[in-house]
Amino acid sequence: MASPTGIPSNAAGPGKYSREIVLLTTLLLLLVFVIFTAFAARMYHKQYHTLGDEWFARGDQDFHSGNAAAALSDYRNALLYSPGNANFQFHLAKALAATGRNEEARAYLVTLLSDSPGSGETNLELARIAAHGGPKMMPDALRYYHAAIYGVWDTDPIAMRWQVRKEFCEYLLDNNAMNQAEAEIIALADNTNPEDFAGQKTAGNLLLRARMWSRALQEFQTLLSHDPRDEDSLAGAATAAFQLAQYSQAEEYLQRLPREKLADPELARMHETARNVLFLNPFAPGLSTDEKAKRAAEAIAVAQARAGSCERQNSAASPQGALSTSPLASAMAKSSQNAADWTARNLRKYPERIEPAMSSVFEIEDAATGQCGEPQGADYALWLIGRSRAGDSK
Amino acid sequence: MSLTSLPPLPPDTQPEPISRSSRPSIRNLWATCRSWSSRILSLREDQLFMFLAVLIGIFSGLAVVCFRIAIEWVHLVSLGSSMFPPVPRVLIVPVGGGLIVALLVIYAFPAARGSGVNQTKAAVYISNGYIPFNTVIGKFVICALGIGTGQSLGPEDPSLQIGAGIASHLGRRLNLSQEKVRLIAPVGAAAGLAAAFNAPISSVIFVIEEVIGTWSAGVLGAIVLAAVSAVITMRVFMGSESLFRVPPVRVANAGELLAYVVLGVIGGGASLAFLKWLAYARPRIQQWPNWTRYLQPAAAGLVVGFIGIRFPQVMGAGYSVIDQALHGQFSWKLLLVLAALKIFATGISFLSGTPGGMFAPTLFIGAMLGGAVGSVEHHLFPSLTGTVGTYALVGMGVFFAGFLRTPITSVFMVIELTGSYTAILPIMIANLVAYFISRTYQKVPLFDFLARQDGFVLPSIEEQREQVPLTVEVAMKTDGSVVALPDELAADLARRAEEEKDALILVRMSPGQWLLLDRDELHRLAADGAMTTKAAEANPTGPLPILFRDQSLEDALHAVGDWPAVPVVSRADLSKLEGIVTLADILRAFRNASLE
Repeated sequence: MASPTGIPSNAAGPGKYSREIVLLTTLLLLLVFVIFTAFAARMYHKQYHTLGDEWFARGDQDFHSGNAAAALSDYRNALLYSPGNANFQFHLAKALAATGRNEEARAYLVTLLSDSPGSGETNLELARIAAHGGPKMMPDALRYYHAAIYGVWDTDPIAMRWQVRKEFCEYLLDNNAMNQAEAEIIALADNTNPEDFAGQKTAGNLLLRARMWSRALQEFQTLLSHDPRDEDSLAGAATAAFQLAQYSQAEEYLQRLPREKLADPELARMHETARNVLFLNPFAPGLSTDEKAKRAAEAIAVAQARAGSCERQNSAASPQGALSTSPLASAMAKSSQNAADWTARNLRKYPERIEPAMSSVFEIEDAATGQCGEPQGADYALWLIGRSRAGDSK
Repeated sequence: MSLTSLPPLPPDTQPEPISRSSRPSIRNLWATCRSWSSRILSLREDQLFMFLAVLIGIFSGLAVVCFRIAIEWVHLVSLGSSMFPPVPRVLIVPVGGGLIVALLVIYAFPAARGSGVNQTKAAVYISNGYIPFNTVIGKFVICALGIGTGQSLGPEDPSLQIGAGIASHLGRRLNLSQEKVRLIAPVGAAAGLAAAFNAPISSVIFVIEEVIGTWSAGVLGAIVLAAVSAVITMRVFMGSESLFRVPPVRVANAGELLAYVVLGVIGGGASLAFLKWLAYARPRIQQWPNWTRYLQPAAAGLVVGFIGIRFPQVMGAGYSVIDQALHGQFSWKLLLVLAALKIFATGISFLSGTPGGMFAPTLFIGAMLGGAVGSVEHHLFPSLTGTVGTYALVGMGVFFAGFLRTPITSVFMVIELTGSYTAILPIMIANLVAYFISRTYQKVPLFDFLARQDGFVLPSIEEQREQVPLTVEVAMKTDGSVVALPDELAADLARRAEEEKDALILVRMSPGQWLLLDRDELHRLAADGAMTTKAAEANPTGPLPILFRDQSLEDALHAVGDWPAVPVVSRADLSKLEGIVTLADILRAFRNASLE
């Protein structure tokens, strides 16, 4: 049987050339082989490089045109030709995340992070993936967002950090992490360039979302000092002033808004309420005694109407006994007892009665709100005035 | 000072005028080269062997670089640059490649069959290291075509044979002695494998562990030199990155090692199943009619192509897929599917007779299996700290140890690939478990049963490794001798000898120097009434060779020679006799061992 190498077992024999010639020829061949291999390797690397770049460019194109699935395949192909390319891996991870394959994306990003732990981009993507993971992943999201904010950014680090912090604030607000959000929003506002009006506006809106009304008002007032007609700033300032119970200021900002802007239901309601407050509030400074008495009487009438409507609404659903012992019933009883004293004429004559009369109004509105839901229109204005008074007295 | 005012140079430093005759001519260059060549060739043969080892390493490195480029080039041309080629291509290309491979193997390069490891071993043990250069060319072309068109095989074993073939050719052309030509093939094999793996240590160990079988100092230096030269050459042209980018490996506590034991058991079982399947199917396929040989690689290509439509990762060597698994980028289900499909595709490709290696598929299957086991274990026990990548890495070693049955190589290979000793414990434990399972249930290792199925018997390195050598201790007798001091009176000694009738009389001259006293001579002296004659003066023969109880029986056989017996002494005290051993004792020990 022939040997597995295909030759007889004693095939080795002397060559026909001298050993010197063989050695020299071998060295010459080695030189030729080196040159050939160098050429081939150069072509190989060049081709690989080109293919990698081409697939990556195609992936970018697909990704930016919204076709993340195609981009995913392109980036994978690019990585075939440049497996260690961090940029390719990063984009692949982004495409994976965009197609909902968060775990795979995370695996790539964690690997990238182990190579450059301070990378802002990688930390941000990891933070986004964690943010999509729900409340369970919140500690991870916080860690990665912080690492991204304080991480290394190759281009425009200040702007990038600002953007990341903004995103982080939105994430915190969306997840009701108010305490952390307040600190981050303040930091965001403080780090906003005074010349960056869009940035300041964003910070102001985040302050509004975080219910930091004074700081928001301050932010929008600064903006309005630069552009008094800026609609977003006027709306923001009006909202902040309204929430701070500075209704006249809110009304002033709302008045400056164009009609189309005021068509926004939220702003329209705010506008109406602010006007009602301003028209109904007997405690507004600078009012004559007659005007105060007139407003107080009007408020009593509005409150009684609201109470009556609320009682009617509830009488159908509840037993009589329950209604007679409700806070609204007792507030109504108190109001009815003093009805004669709290007429417009008597209030004008005895202005010291305005205060208890209005207290009764606020009591009725509070009780009605508790019993029949949030008030509307003039009732809402009275309820707000009452709350504002209660806050002031505290 | 102006140039014109410079003093003239002394006569002996004046430059000579350039003459036609003093210019370096091609003839001078040729003469210089021949002179250097003669100087190299005038080196002692062992020095020349070392020089050739470097040369072989560089040649093998270059050949492997070209081989790798050729595989990639064939892949790009035939299947395109996308990971997911169009379906018609995935089906047609492996089939077409298979047909060409079959024709080349049958008509042009019949010796290029197989993976390359057994063929190299056969060259060493059967053909005195002869590997025709034609085989090198055949292996290069056919494997580039086969692997490049998607057959599920690897380039490492063929690289090993290409290196061995280059070495063999060079050795013969330089008229090295037959012994050196026989030894030079493994040198080239190590160089080829080292360049293919970019891992010199594990390649050297593999060649010693699987091809040569012994740590022979004569060839070890040359093997190391060749492997290092090949790796350097490869790195110059292809970069110094290892085959896989290995993630950080972490093993937090000893308790986690149990998880790796489980991986060892599963990997051992899988490698055993793969081995059993190959051992069962190969002889049956070899019995098929001869005409089917033309179609077998194409049929295998069709099967691999069908798999490749949905899972193209299975096609070719799959290095990039291993890399992804190491970075935990697949789900456990996909990892498991890929492992199973790769076992199937590799088996089909190999059984079809397509030349190609088993190393890369082995690593692929191991990585997928390891990753899958790691993912599942993580799911069940979230407290485990080892990443999925770590399990994939250990899995590579596990399957390597279980399937190729080279336990030391498997450990070193993973260490060399990671460049870290952090994972050494899990790797060693898991590999040993897998090796033990495979060894227990499949007695004959892969390369040995492949050789036997092909009708030739190569020395089984595993059997050699596991053979317990017979030692002097087995054969020696602790009684049957009388020890005398040199100044002991012959008469007293004769009296003592009378008490032990058949005992040999040994005279201890000095530590380590023992003489044998003839009993008849002692009796003659006693009968002559030489009352003052001492043992040393009684014409003892010697000095006797000495043996130690842990020496092999082969050593004892050499030592005994014509002596009736040889003393066995303590290594700590050469004057302390532990026993004696005779030729009959040695032969009896051999006979008993063979009966057992």
